Amino acid sequence: MAKVFIYPINSLILADLVERFGHKPLTMMSQIRGKVTSLSLDSPPINITPEDPKLGLKYAAIEVPAGVRGRMSLIGPLIEQTEAAIIVENPPTDFGCVGCNRTNELTKYLVRSKGVPVLEVKYPESDEEARDFVNEIVAFLESLPKEKPEDEKVEEKESAEKEDKK
Amino acid sequence: MTETKKEEITKYIVISSDKVLPSDAAMKIYESEFPVTVKETCFGLIVSGAKDDVETLVEKIRQLDKNHIFVKDRGFPPGDERRCRASRGGGPRPGFHFLREEVEMLPAIGAALDELEEKECLMEKSKTKCRLKTSDLEKVIEEELAR
Amino acid sequence: MSAEESSLVKIALVSCGSEYAGVQPEFEEAAAKVNAKFIYPEIDVASIDTIGKDFGLEVASGDLRLMMARAKAVVEGTTNAEGVFITTCFRCAEGAIVRNEVRRYIHEHSNIPVISYSFTESTSAGTLLTRLEALTTIVRRRHLLTREVQTGLTAGIDSGSTTTKAVIMRDNKIIGKGWVPTTKVLESAEEAYSIALEEAGVARKEIQAIGTTGYGRFLIGNHLKAQLIQEEITVNSKGAVYLANKQKGNATVIDIGGMDNKAISVQDGIPGMFTMGGICAGASGRFFEMISKRLGVDITELGALAVKGMHENVSMNSYCIVFGTQSLVNSLAKGATPEDVAAAACYSVVEQIYEQQLQEVDVKEPLILVGGSSLIAGVPKALGELLKINVLVPENSHMIGAVGAALLASGFVEE
Repeated sequence: MAKVFIYPINSLILADLVERFGHKPLTMMSQIRGKVTSLSLDSPPINITPEDPKLGLKYAAIEVPAGVRGRMSLIGPLIEQTEAAIIVENPPTDFGCVGCNRTNELTKYLVRSKGVPVLEVKYPESDEEARDFVNEIVAFLESLPKEKPEDEKVEEKESAEKEDKK
Repeated sequence: MTETKKEEITKYIVISSDKVLPSDAAMKIYESEFPVTVKETCFGLIVSGAKDDVETLVEKIRQLDKNHIFVKDRGFPPGDERRCRASRGGGPRPGFHFLREEVEMLPAIGAALDELEEKECLMEKSKTKCRLKTSDLEKVIEEELAR
Repeated sequence: MSAEESSLVKIALVSCGSEYAGVQPEFEEAAAKVNAKFIYPEIDVASIDTIGKDFGLEVASGDLRLMMARAKAVVEGTTNAEGVFITTCFRCAEGAIVRNEVRRYIHEHSNIPVISYSFTESTSAGTLLTRLEALTTIVRRRHLLTREVQTGLTAGIDSGSTTTKAVIMRDNKIIGKGWVPTTKVLESAEEAYSIALEEAGVARKEIQAIGTTGYGRFLIGNHLKAQLIQEEITVNSKGAVYLANKQKGNATVIDIGGMDNKAISVQDGIPGMFTMGGICAGASGRFFEMISKRLGVDITELGALAVKGMHENVSMNSYCIVFGTQSLVNSLAKGATPEDVAAAACYSVVEQIYEQQLQEVDVKEPLILVGGSSLIAGVPKALGELLKINVLVPENSHMIGAVGAALLASGFVEE
């Protein structure tokens, strides 16, 4: 099972396909869940506090707008876990977490420069294209390792524990 | 990423099926023993509850029509005030528009998944060199013509 | 305040995603303080694909297109918004262009007031408060703010951090003025008011309405039972365009006060975007006071001195009131003339305003320079040179707050 970064990071279709073919999608939804269900935070609506754009400094300098760094504080940790990625070009409408194109440019760049397998596909505009879209994605997902090596499982557990302590 | 002891999760089940209605799927969940919260929406269902319960249930629902039922995580629990239209003062939450766009593409994605499955099935069958059943052939022809 | 004036104001929040910058709670807090509630305009999702072409501004970011679609919803009345707060990230060029154009669009196509703002993660409810207070004032007093002519016999008092100004106006004319340093807020106001009344030759009881503004507005307003107590952004904008006789169309108001400064982008006398300084006294009247003292001249003589000097002859490494003053003193020791030093001081102040305040405000002509420091002749000269623009300093430019208050207060005479 590979951890697959998807772009758009909140896509139903991509998250579903990745999971359907036995991998773990890295999505914004899980990041948001971590934020909004944390009782120690009270910064509605999505509990991003002024501290988060500071965490985003890891990915972009202070001169980069706060909205970009705030979004990167959610997306950056996912990119760090990325083992493979599917990037959809020209997705239809894009708001909210993916509503800022500067963030999206930076996100895609960081994923591409990571050196992991990346599939770049176009968003389908017809049934014909939808078939190619699904086929390409499925072929890509099937080419990824199914089983997670044992040592990574241990690592993951450790990192989860670390997160808890934070 | 906070791993709580009893992790609560929420999933969207988006139903793009001719066979299964959101209400059927909801009924299936009500009938089950799992203590989860279900909310019917125009796209399908939002299921919320303990991680294991939700995952098991969602998989069951998906199997009702697996190529036409889609699942994704949702950050917010259902009816969360921070996202609720009424308390936000009108205007849907930002993710709504994107979901709506994607939902329009689901019939095509579902058809592609059907086709993929059939191809695999055909390949398996061709290995055994058996003839295609006429009913299956008829289905393939119909689908080809319908394109 | 009447019932209408204290009612809840619905403000459409048109933003590129303030919730991702950690500032949303600050927005909500500031809104609650002025009894306003944010609403999010409903849009037709299909319009998003075409909004760039419809609006004429094609941008890459979805949230910026959403801003345009929301602005359209506000203009077309599908959303019941009484005011619009437009906000994007500070330092985003794409966001700044959309922010300015959306503001202009709403202003030109509706009567709904708009305030725009650019945020960072350290935006505090305090800085937002003045903006939302100005916005709700415009909503609640829209009718009053359209007033272009002063009627009856009214008084305006502007309680600033450094000086307190009072004017008496009758039938659209200033007939009495008082200008005193602010020591104790109430006493200084009483003094300025008495001087103005004396010059006007009218008795206190004859005054039909009083308006107060500035830092001490509530204290003085309650003491004098003023009909109008209003923040300085809307009052000063009004006062500036009134005195400059530029009440219609675009204008940019730069107000250099004793302690802080403001840059306000005005449309038809109503403020849209504005920035306020106040972190550094190096761009205020206080800096000029210190320089005058070091040069051994009265502050009223500094301007004439500056006009004769060349700022280029003096090198300044800092805008800071401490280090900046030090540089000027050092250059005197090196043989620079007092004229050059005075000119350099003026240039330093306007350069700081250019670099800090004008970052977020587009400079539309006419540029009206007001506030006590506008009386120092070297300041408008330096500003004009720096911005390559003709700078307008209206008569009584230091009195804008008091004049604006007296003008607006006359709205209560007829009521």
